[in-house]
Amino acid sequence: MALLQIAEPGQSAKPHERKLAVGIDLGTTHSLVASVRSGQVETLSNSRGEHLLPSVVRYLADESPQVGLKAQAHLVDDAANTVMSVKRLMGRGIEDVKRLGENMPYFFEACDQGMPLINTVSGPKSPVQVSADILRALVQRGESSLGGELVGAVITVPAYFDDAQRQATKDAAQLAGIKVLRLLNEPTAAAVAYGLEQDEQEQGTIAVFDLGGGTFDISILRMEQGVFEVLATGGDSALGGDDFDHALAEWMHQERQIPAQLDLAQQRFLLRMARVGKELLSEVSTTQLSFEGWPGDAHYADLELTREQMNLLLDPIISQAIKATKRTLRDAKVSVDGISQVVMVGGSTRSLRVQERVTELFQQQLLTNIDPDRVVALGAARQADVLAGNQSGEELLLLDVLPLSLGLETMGGLVERVIDRNTPIPVARAQEFTTYQDGQTAIAVHVLQGERELVQDCRSLSRFELRGIPPMAAGAAKIRVTFQVDADGLLEVSAHELTSGVAASVQVKPSFGLSDLQIADMIKASWSNVDEDRGARSLREQQVEADRLLEAVAIALTADGERLLTDQEQQVIVNQMEQLVTVRNGEDHHAIAKQIEIMAKASNAYAAMRMDDSIKRALAGKSVDQL
Amino acid sequence: MDISQDFFSCYGLSCDFAIDLAVLRQSHRRLQQQHHPDRFASGSGSEQRRAVQITAYLNQAYATLSEPLKRGIYLLQLQGMDPLSPTNTQMPMDFLLQQIELRECLEDLHQAQDLEAEIDAMATQLRDQANQLEIDFSQAYTALDFLTAETAVRKLQFIVKLQQQLSALEGALLD
Repeated sequence: MALLQIAEPGQSAKPHERKLAVGIDLGTTHSLVASVRSGQVETLSNSRGEHLLPSVVRYLADESPQVGLKAQAHLVDDAANTVMSVKRLMGRGIEDVKRLGENMPYFFEACDQGMPLINTVSGPKSPVQVSADILRALVQRGESSLGGELVGAVITVPAYFDDAQRQATKDAAQLAGIKVLRLLNEPTAAAVAYGLEQDEQEQGTIAVFDLGGGTFDISILRMEQGVFEVLATGGDSALGGDDFDHALAEWMHQERQIPAQLDLAQQRFLLRMARVGKELLSEVSTTQLSFEGWPGDAHYADLELTREQMNLLLDPIISQAIKATKRTLRDAKVSVDGISQVVMVGGSTRSLRVQERVTELFQQQLLTNIDPDRVVALGAARQADVLAGNQSGEELLLLDVLPLSLGLETMGGLVERVIDRNTPIPVARAQEFTTYQDGQTAIAVHVLQGERELVQDCRSLSRFELRGIPPMAAGAAKIRVTFQVDADGLLEVSAHELTSGVAASVQVKPSFGLSDLQIADMIKASWSNVDEDRGARSLREQQVEADRLLEAVAIALTADGERLLTDQEQQVIVNQMEQLVTVRNGEDHHAIAKQIEIMAKASNAYAAMRMDDSIKRALAGKSVDQL
Repeated sequence: MDISQDFFSCYGLSCDFAIDLAVLRQSHRRLQQQHHPDRFASGSGSEQRRAVQITAYLNQAYATLSEPLKRGIYLLQLQGMDPLSPTNTQMPMDFLLQQIELRECLEDLHQAQDLEAEIDAMATQLRDQANQLEIDFSQAYTALDFLTAETAVRKLQFIVKLQQQLSALEGALLD
């Protein structure tokens, strides 16, 4: 009989056995799973040799859902039960989705946390559930390719994903039963895929230029001794290869003087022609575009498209990406010649013109040898291998930053920034606030994310209340609010009152987040609206100040106005109050400031009288030695 | 790792304004390698929480020590001073006048003929002033003259604010 082997407690029975872990690129149009096998990192295919899994899920009445190509085949004939592009819905509220929803054939309903649910034959499905179904398919592929159970996965997210979107992604993984070793930013993953840190001498600053179909992301990373550190991230989430197709289609439309009103089929025809032309021109320098099969009565002659002509059409769009790149370089405090490597990611970086323009900017050869569709998954797989504990010695370490600033609502609907964007994470930051009114016993903590100065222009992440503050004079309570962001970019907020020790905390787990467009708009708007914001901020500040003064004087007048003041004196103050109310409701913060000053002057004498009076009353009836 | 110790001690640096930034950077890297939550990816929840706390502390320490202004303020805070106190508004008149002048320069910049040259000139001027104030601070601090050091750091704060405004303006104008 063979002896049973018993391992030392705390040691693995087979110490040299690799732990199985995968990297997952959970994409908008397609997803990928990759792993490190015998030192080689590779994307994993299904039994038919297909690597890309279309991010499409079809729900059926009595069977488990179909995922991938099988589901994609039913996008038209079973549109209501076949869900695509679910990544755009992650971390969003029902209101956001309704705005997006015009192009979506699904029926939505809201559940109680405001999360949108898609009605399917197999019941209502949340975006988190749909993503979980995609993840399950990828995990299964990973397990059957690698031949065992996975210890976990690194899942990539766009760098600009906010807290709600990251949380939703992590929730999906949890739902799919896979342990998340780390949520990793896509550009960071791409930089890691090239293994730039493996040369021990290698150190430098890397730009990751990620142009997809509908989004543009630019990240600047520093690499040193195996550590990749994100210095700044930026971009434009409404810029991508789809804009190229539209520009080309528009040009064809004009060249052939096609009537302005196109139906859906004609629009699709032109866009398809545009895509074909665009792809052909990366091989040849001139191509004939044929209108054969045009869905309409008219006949149009073939159209010649040269590479020069196409470049003219693409350039304004590429220029926007170049501009965003320069802006991010400034955020990172790095000059163009300080960049040692440029990594190209995303299908649209296959465009020769894009490569030419980026080369022109950075004056160097670009890294394009890894398939731009797979590079993110490959990088995630390398990181998963490290996190599973399969590597020894000086290990790869990836340090990310917070993509959007975090703050709190203060009086007057203003946002007080607590942590600025591009701050390295994990991070903890505390800020002290105080009460606004005498005897205030509770405060509402409203957590926001975004770059603008007014609450209404930022994304609301969470609200909670700190109750039981002992009554104190306005401004005497000290409430410390602490923000903690972990390595995945997920936020936790706590608040406590320092003099009494009253505490409350919340793990920010919002049911919805920002739309890509909103984030793009919010970031863009914060650049173009700096002046407007400053004006709005001053206005709110003066309004708060005016309200405070009006309230204080009104309370005083009710208490002892008649006793201390003549009718005429009272009337002067009341007149000034009325004038302050009028300008306070206007838009001119200078006028409010001026009137506050006038009114303060008018009520100064009264304030002095009240002070004297209260001292007199306190002293009344007491002899000197009693004091 | 003791996260209640001062930021200098955690990097093994002596508590001084003049520090070797290369040493700071290397120690920071080494400590991050050791304590980052990724090192505990398969560890227990409490290990991971602890790692998040330590790394957040390290990031705060690095951000504070790597910038001269923050480092100066922190040194004075360790001496029990509060250079950022809002009640502390006394500044020498000549310095304030100079600030007003600089601010006007900044506001007039967008009308400049050769914008980039003007921005560069102003950036150089501000950098020179910042460098001088850092020297002033360092000398005063070493001489244990904390009040003079405090004035230097508060002047430096004005200059750093102008530098930020200048770079924001540069961004807006070059876009």
